[in-house]
Amino acid sequence: MIRLENVTKSYSPDVVALRDAGFDIAKGEFVFLVGPSGSGKSTLLRMLNRQDRPERGAVWVAGRNIVDMPPGRVPHLRRNIGNIFQDYKLLLEKTVFENVAFAQEVIGRPKHVIKQQVPAVLELVGLAGKEDRLPHQLSGGEQQRVSVARAFVNRPLILLADEPTGNLDPATGEGIMRLLDRINKTGTTVVMATHDQRIVNTMRKRVIQLDRGVIVRDQARGVYE
Amino acid sequence: MLSRLRYIFRETFDSFRRNATLTMAAIITAAISLLGVGLTLLSQQGFDNLLSKWEGGVEMIIFVNAGATDDQLGVIDTALGNAGTFVEEFSYCDAVCSLNEAQIVLAGEPGTLALLGLNNIPTQYKVVPTEGTDVELLRQLEGAFAELPNVRNVQFAEDQISLIGQLQDFFGFRLLLLSIFLLLAAILLIWNTVRTAIFARRREIEVMKLVGATDWFIRVPFMLEGLLHGIIGGVLASGGLWAWNSQWTSGVGEFPEGSGFAALVVTDGYDKQVMLIMLIIGAAAGAIGSGIAASRFLDV
Repeated sequence: MIRLENVTKSYSPDVVALRDAGFDIAKGEFVFLVGPSGSGKSTLLRMLNRQDRPERGAVWVAGRNIVDMPPGRVPHLRRNIGNIFQDYKLLLEKTVFENVAFAQEVIGRPKHVIKQQVPAVLELVGLAGKEDRLPHQLSGGEQQRVSVARAFVNRPLILLADEPTGNLDPATGEGIMRLLDRINKTGTTVVMATHDQRIVNTMRKRVIQLDRGVIVRDQARGVYE
Repeated sequence: MLSRLRYIFRETFDSFRRNATLTMAAIITAAISLLGVGLTLLSQQGFDNLLSKWEGGVEMIIFVNAGATDDQLGVIDTALGNAGTFVEEFSYCDAVCSLNEAQIVLAGEPGTLALLGLNNIPTQYKVVPTEGTDVELLRQLEGAFAELPNVRNVQFAEDQISLIGQLQDFFGFRLLLLSIFLLLAAILLIWNTVRTAIFARRREIEVMKLVGATDWFIRVPFMLEGLLHGIIGGVLASGGLWAWNSQWTSGVGEFPEGSGFAALVVTDGYDKQVMLIMLIIGAAAGAIGSGIAASRFLDV
């Protein structure tokens, strides 16, 4: 599903974000990216949805090298990738329903499809009955659930999560992880950057560790260390 | 398709509401500049009307009383033919032709116009001098032509054209220059309004890009917003031009007859053409301003 080949990215001659990074992620895998701040985790996630491009190397997503993908094709790539962020990135003046529906609306899904799929995904993330609430009327955990619903509503092949539990207390964070695990079990590949040692150690999924842009460990059913 | 259209219009009008002050400023500036363009075109047409009888290099007109016989006209024909050294060509504008011309020149004096008919309107000989013949030379012949049978009077273009031409050049150029500057200001203001709208919605745009919206899908509501600024400005300017032209047309009617302003009104539908031109220029200005902003600032 995802393959990186000798990917190098630097922001200046002194700041190398990734150096000769390479790995394969199969369809349906759940992978943690771990490492200290500035180790290149977020840069790597940005490469996978073509927000950023490497100077060298190839990034294969769903069978296509996306490094030289024409800009006009990038939106179509992104329709197969869901994104979850630490700060949720919700639209504050839109309701829960509208925030999730927005992801379908902007890619031209018909209204009847939106009306059918949004409630279903809100049910999945445990937000049924809260469709009309605005983000500020929700707890942090609930806001992150809206973000997960928005990322998943188009049934993407891949879900990229950048510190999704970073702003949440441990119990709420665990709830989000259970949700991501459920989504992963539907066949969606999940790649998650995190600092949360407890979560990584509890879930025992594949761990790719980065240090100053270099992959120093790639371990199946790994722990944080 | 329908859901996309609904989305585009909803976002456009939401943006209008969110940036109400800037939107109003952009529309008003566009309207004022377009009104300037419209008034320039209209005043030029008025001056053209005023000078219409002198078109085609005509420098001298011999007015002949209504009821002149064919023999009397023949005498004038012969006299003009014999002045071949000075006269390149001449044409006779009969009663029908003169009445048509009067409807342009006296458009602002309906009272005078109503008194004129095919049986009483003076006809005209329009004279184009040979190259090298200056008006002073033609003036020497004025007396000879004025004494011909049933000739009412002789007029020279120079007496009317020089002043009117100067006025036309003075107002035309300066009004156009002012309009161009105002139009540039309108484009910049539309550009800035759309840029502000993009900035206000940067979070939304970031999310749209991440979920796979195309650049055009994101751009179109902003471009439509700018286009509407220009079109609404054009509509307001059209209303202003209509009001201005109506006031001027009725105002000119109250000027003393023969004051020369009668031709400075536009009543032949040209004002509608100018309104259409203003709408097109307004739409183009809006599209340019918003198009540049939408292309340049969408990388949020």
